[in-house]
Amino acid sequence: MEDLDEEDFAFSKSSAADAEFDAVIGSIEDIIMDDVFQQLQQSFMEKYYQEFDDTEENKLIYTPIFNEYIDLLEKHLEQQLVERIPGFSMSAFTQSLKQHKDEVSGDIFDMLLTFTDFMAFKEMFIDYRAEREGRGLDLSDGLVVRSLSCVAPSSLPTSTTVQPQ
Amino acid sequence: MGLLTILKKMKHKEREMRLLMLGLDNAGKTTILKKFNGEDVSTISPTLGFNIKTLEHRGFKLNIWDVGGQKSLRSYWRNYFESTDGLVWVVDSADRLRLEDCKQELSALLLEERLAGATLLVFANKQDLPGALSKEAIQEALALDDIKTHHWCIIGCSAVTGENLLTGVDWLLDDIAARIFTIE
Repeated sequence: MEDLDEEDFAFSKSSAADAEFDAVIGSIEDIIMDDVFQQLQQSFMEKYYQEFDDTEENKLIYTPIFNEYIDLLEKHLEQQLVERIPGFSMSAFTQSLKQHKDEVSGDIFDMLLTFTDFMAFKEMFIDYRAEREGRGLDLSDGLVVRSLSCVAPSSLPTSTTVQPQ
Repeated sequence: MGLLTILKKMKHKEREMRLLMLGLDNAGKTTILKKFNGEDVSTISPTLGFNIKTLEHRGFKLNIWDVGGQKSLRSYWRNYFESTDGLVWVVDSADRLRLEDCKQELSALLLEERLAGATLLVFANKQDLPGALSKEAIQEALALDDIKTHHWCIIGCSAVTGENLLTGVDWLLDDIAARIFTIE
């Protein structure tokens, strides 16, 4: 096990694994930046935003909605990775994540972690609801306020803009 | 377990703890939470959902979850067990009639697998009330000495005056820190 060939082999094997790891990270970035991902979040919020109130106490219903959200994002990420990377295995990747534990940092991981933060999740819904109900931005008194029913279909992006795949 | 869940567990920060505060309704859980956070506690209504506060204490980040204790809500407690480092069980020391109920609920929690690794702090709350039982009496009524599965401690306190809240949290923090952060 101690001769040079073995070491070289081990080295090239590990750098190939590193390259593979980096490729997956790159794909995750692409997936999250993709419009499809934004639309997925958008239609999820559209489905549940009326449950969310801007109060300090949280309703029990938020918890299953939060779990459904995490599940939705995880399934989407996995499905997209499988589509983009031939032979992708999530269990192999999470193993490799654990080995790269110390390098797991930076914007992409911060963003992924934000998805798992309950308070950030609640805030996202409250903001969405405020915006959806026209209370989002108090830009100026000069704005004309119209009832939601005539403004909503044209001015707000909704899940109906998602093209069938 | 999916990618996000694994990532979250991996990046579970050092010096960060999740505390779950449970107990029967009207035990004073939300009052403890707010008092500890330096908020006004004069008008607290029964919790129908749950509250979360993130506090910095002694260089630790404490994520405290307080879930409503009414009978109809107790079946939802299980949704909050995951990743709990410390369980804070709050008792209304003046509510003698429901001590048996209180004991039953606590015993059931201690059998939960997902709470198996959690340290237990029992707050014998409302010590400021004239009819309150002492912490020794509560300790006996809840048969705390029979607990062999969890590290535990009982502290007499008053959420309204704030008496002993810090003592309790400090003990909890020390116990969790000794268990978790020395292993790695």
